[in-house]
Amino acid sequence: MPDSPADICLPDVGMVDAEADLVAQLQTGSEAAFRTLVARYQDRVYRTAFSLLRTPEEAEDVAQEVFVEVYQTIARFRGDASLTTWLYRLATSRALKTRRKAQTKKRFAYFTNLLGFDNNVLHEPPDHAHPQALLEGQQQLQLLLDHIARLPDQQQVAFTLRHEQGLRYDKIAAVLDTTVPAVESLLFRARQTLRKHIQPHLRYV
Amino acid sequence: MSDSAFRPLPDEKVWEDLMHQLQEQAQGQPRPFFYNRVSARLISRPMAPGRTVPVWMLRPAYAALLGVIMLALSGDAGALRPVPAASTGTAPDSEQPLRAHPQ
Repeated sequence: MPDSPADICLPDVGMVDAEADLVAQLQTGSEAAFRTLVARYQDRVYRTAFSLLRTPEEAEDVAQEVFVEVYQTIARFRGDASLTTWLYRLATSRALKTRRKAQTKKRFAYFTNLLGFDNNVLHEPPDHAHPQALLEGQQQLQLLLDHIARLPDQQQVAFTLRHEQGLRYDKIAAVLDTTVPAVESLLFRARQTLRKHIQPHLRYV
Repeated sequence: MSDSAFRPLPDEKVWEDLMHQLQEQAQGQPRPFFYNRVSARLISRPMAPGRTVPVWMLRPAYAALLGVIMLALSGDAGALRPVPAASTGTAPDSEQPLRAHPQ
């Protein structure tokens, strides 16, 4: 996958027409069109949610909610953004919302544990993995995933859309409702942060 | 300052391999019969436009605040003021004549 904004290209006219037709059919309430929409986009929506949540259950829940929302609000869709962009926007915003809720719940559980309201462990068990173990491919990937999850929301969305979903810079800019230079900046900062954290473990390779 | 800022960036090849692994692990799919589960969820949920009360009205704090504002604007805010303390002992109407006719 090329890693520069040079791979920006104009949208495929045929694809845009196909999307417009599908939207028009959806707006008439066609169940067949909705089935087509789900079949065509379910993987992309699911993967986008999964890359921000990392659990299949939560990703599936978000993906279902996205399609329910599309069905219920398609009548108001005016085509300011493409259908694909709208779906990515719904998926990322819902996934981030779900994650914020989960983090709040986790913090609450942590405090109740600390106050001794239940008899579970009082703190997160320490990770005794030797740095050498991080060399193993899977663990190195896990380390990267952990640090991606700690990136600020905008950086994380830009990074995952680019490196996991393979979206072009202009598409990412449309999803985030920003400019291509802003996306470049987000990606630059995200990579810099990740390399800084991953680097000490790569020294053992 | 730690020396970490001066360490060379990891080998590009290692980084690219890691990015490749990242992209591979992101190729998951929802479980089979996903459409059926979406339809079931749609059927079980009432349509959003059918809602008669806006979502924010469902939050008790907002509803209470709206109530207080309406009371204040309608001129009935006196109901919210605290009653004067009983220790003053004299009724307000018994003081008026004294002021009106000083000795």
